[in-house]
Amino acid sequence: MLDIIFAELIIAAIITFFVGKKIASIIAGFISILPLFALIDWANNFGFKTISFGIERQMNISVAGITLHLGITPLSWFFALMILPLFPLIMLYSYSFFKENDGFYPFMLFAFASTFGILLSKDMLSLFLFWEIMSWSSFLLVYRSRDKEAIISYLIFSVFSAFAILFGLMILWHENFSLLLSDIGRINGIYGFIAIASLIIGFSVKSVLMPLHAWAPFVYSKSDEPFVAFLSGGLSKLGYYGMFLFLFTLNGVKILQNYTPNVAWNYLLAVVGSLSAFVATMLAIMQDDLRKLLAYSSIGQLGYIAIGFGIGTPLAITGALFQAFNHAFFKAVLFLAAGAVAYRTGKWKISELGGLAYRMPLTFLAALFAIFALAAIPITSGFAAKWLLYEAAIQQKYVFIAPLMLIAGVGAFLYSFRILYGVFLGENRYPDVKEAPKSMIAAMFILMLPLIIFVVFPGYMLDLMKPALSNSGIESIAHTKFAIETSLAKYNSMAVLITLIAAMVPAFIIYKARKHRITSFEDNYLAGEPYEFHNPSMHAAHNFYKPLKGVVLPYFEPGATYYFEKIYKGIGILSNGIRRIYTGFVQDYAIYVVIFLLAVMGWLIWM
Amino acid sequence: MDVMGIAIKVALLTAYAVIGTCVGLLFMGIGRKIIARVHNRVGPPFYQNFIDVAKLLSKKTNISHGWIFDLALLFSISGILLTLLFLPIGGVQLLSMEGDAFLVLYLLAIPALGFALGAGASGNPNAGVGVMRALVMMLSYELPFIITLIALMIYYDTTSLATIVRMQSINGVKSWAITMPPFMLAAFAADMALQGMLMEQPFDIPVAPHEIASGPMVEFGGKYLGSLMLYKAIALVAETTLFVDLFLGGGVVAHGNFAFVINFIVWLALIFLLFILSILIAASFPRFRIEQAFGFYWKYEAIIAAISLIWVYILVIK
Repeated sequence: MLDIIFAELIIAAIITFFVGKKIASIIAGFISILPLFALIDWANNFGFKTISFGIERQMNISVAGITLHLGITPLSWFFALMILPLFPLIMLYSYSFFKENDGFYPFMLFAFASTFGILLSKDMLSLFLFWEIMSWSSFLLVYRSRDKEAIISYLIFSVFSAFAILFGLMILWHENFSLLLSDIGRINGIYGFIAIASLIIGFSVKSVLMPLHAWAPFVYSKSDEPFVAFLSGGLSKLGYYGMFLFLFTLNGVKILQNYTPNVAWNYLLAVVGSLSAFVATMLAIMQDDLRKLLAYSSIGQLGYIAIGFGIGTPLAITGALFQAFNHAFFKAVLFLAAGAVAYRTGKWKISELGGLAYRMPLTFLAALFAIFALAAIPITSGFAAKWLLYEAAIQQKYVFIAPLMLIAGVGAFLYSFRILYGVFLGENRYPDVKEAPKSMIAAMFILMLPLIIFVVFPGYMLDLMKPALSNSGIESIAHTKFAIETSLAKYNSMAVLITLIAAMVPAFIIYKARKHRITSFEDNYLAGEPYEFHNPSMHAAHNFYKPLKGVVLPYFEPGATYYFEKIYKGIGILSNGIRRIYTGFVQDYAIYVVIFLLAVMGWLIWM
Repeated sequence: MDVMGIAIKVALLTAYAVIGTCVGLLFMGIGRKIIARVHNRVGPPFYQNFIDVAKLLSKKTNISHGWIFDLALLFSISGILLTLLFLPIGGVQLLSMEGDAFLVLYLLAIPALGFALGAGASGNPNAGVGVMRALVMMLSYELPFIITLIALMIYYDTTSLATIVRMQSINGVKSWAITMPPFMLAAFAADMALQGMLMEQPFDIPVAPHEIASGPMVEFGGKYLGSLMLYKAIALVAETTLFVDLFLGGGVVAHGNFAFVINFIVWLALIFLLFILSILIAASFPRFRIEQAFGFYWKYEAIIAAISLIWVYILVIK
């Protein structure tokens, strides 16, 4: 069965090359539901009662004497649960997003199949193979943007990431002479240390951790929205999947600790994560391009996951996985909502948008709910994840990380309101805009469901991640259906929700006691001035956080991109220097040959 | 829990919600009187705010700008009541065992966000500018406040407000956090943050009546303005209570038979004193500009808070 699923994904990818846009999106959408059946089936193995479709857990593919070991593990099952459901819904969304089939669907299907493959990999070869297919297909999707900065930065960082991962895997292979991931536990010493460090650096490119994030703002702001939703929601989690796999399931933390007992590498990861969360949040506040704002917000929100892995206690890891799960859904909704706005208006700059809430109410509701989850308002499941991470930092008395995390949480309110006010509220600039197409709305609303389910039952989320945690030897947190309990405090989501609904009663009585009439806001937009004197180039959302900009921004100059450009230019100068040996004179080449031969002779004599 | 227990709990919570609202409105009236006295005016009577709210809520002309505008009314009152009920008040735990200080911080954002949504939906540029200023103020005062909160949390090794209050009430006044030198510094920083939270001068930048026509509430009238006044009254009680819970032992001085009444009176006196302090500061200082306020909080206040955090950290590690 599993081989059939893979074969169908590949065949569908090839078929979608040749068919029209609507048929392609239908094929892609339905084919990508198949792995979800496998997920439901495999849940039986991890202590949940579900329907069985008879799909096997393990599969070995042998090609030319090389065997690829594929199979589900509790960890990959949990990550698949957050990544794979995004895909059919993004296909549903793209049903009306694209004008024609110009190569989007085949590469998306390849990216999806390889994502499934990465999650199923049980040996290093298949992990690297699928990782490369994923990088390659997502690069071709970035290439569709025709934006030089996006293409080059994605290519360079992907290649760097692939080399770092390959380097780490090769060292591991050299130490064990076994490709199976389960054999890694035996490795120790400096080679183990280098291998694990190199793997973490390689994976942190995909998970946009701060020094290696420089590609993300370009790529996220220039590529097609459905792809960016999958890139930010789904593919970025693969980086954290790799980190979790090597750090906790395969005991990377112990390998690092054994080699350098006095250095807390964990703590370094947590500091990098918290700086990533803080700096990216500050930069997100200053953006005017909607997609760049969301890109920096992604970097910030993903930083929290790194903090959780860095702190490394059961509480922190639970919080990190919860945050990863939430982020997959709310960031996908936000990028899709941004895409819906652009689909109708054609504008990306927040200062050129405005007043769309009454024209596109359902898109607004979806975006509003996703923003509640992003800002961790306790009426969505976003809060439980952040709460677990805060608790973990306080429990470990990490007094540097905790304030950065919390202030980044406050900063999230600022850029969230920038989206709400600049795009959806304020002056109505597009009186004729219609609501987004039905398929887009349906996709966004279905993506919101997990955020609602897991605020009512945060305990179910902890149950879902229990097999993954216990497989890595991490105990799970005390919880009931509605409440999570730590050694420091308790969070009962049901108490919050019921009290909120009860407190709505007096508010509703006040609201209903007197009638109101609705007036258009064209007359008060100008604060009393006649409409004829209104200058349309003036906009309240333009340069929104100007007072903050002057104070905060100088501290973030010149930024990571500046240093990467320096390295880029330095390599250019170096390569130019090396190029000079090709002088074009035959005599010079003859001398090179003589020098080379002399060197070889010298080496042979010395040997 | 049986039906009777739930009924008693609901009655208690309702009573505290009503008490909180009345105390808030009363304090606002007294505050107006004090400011008038400082300005050498007669001022309105202390019950003026009850009259104002009653008048506004019973107005027959109410102008709305659509359903998003109405969210301001619904979310501001329900959100702030929710916050109030998750705080221990005068030693009575209410719902504070079901959440903790982080939850209270995020619950405080619900009414603020609802309010901001309504202000934004009104379409008035002054409202947008006002909300921007309110959010920048929030980012400013939260930093010192968060640092002092973390200092308390690592000292008492809990994040639960109920537990913090219980540990401070073991020896009455002597075990209040504010009696310890590091927490004196922290309390100073947190009180300045409280000034910003209450939006009193010199930090009344978001409403700034002379600059942006009272900012976010510029388009609010009738029942909408009345509900915002209620929101402000309850927020006043909730925010001062948060400070009292953190530094002043929640006002718990007595244990025993009549402890409930005594603690309630002490709590009321403490939040009243805090409010008077804030009003007197407000009456004596002119308004900051927004970047000045940001610098004040992130430079001076944050450094004071950080010193107390480092001090506490050293105490705890030893």
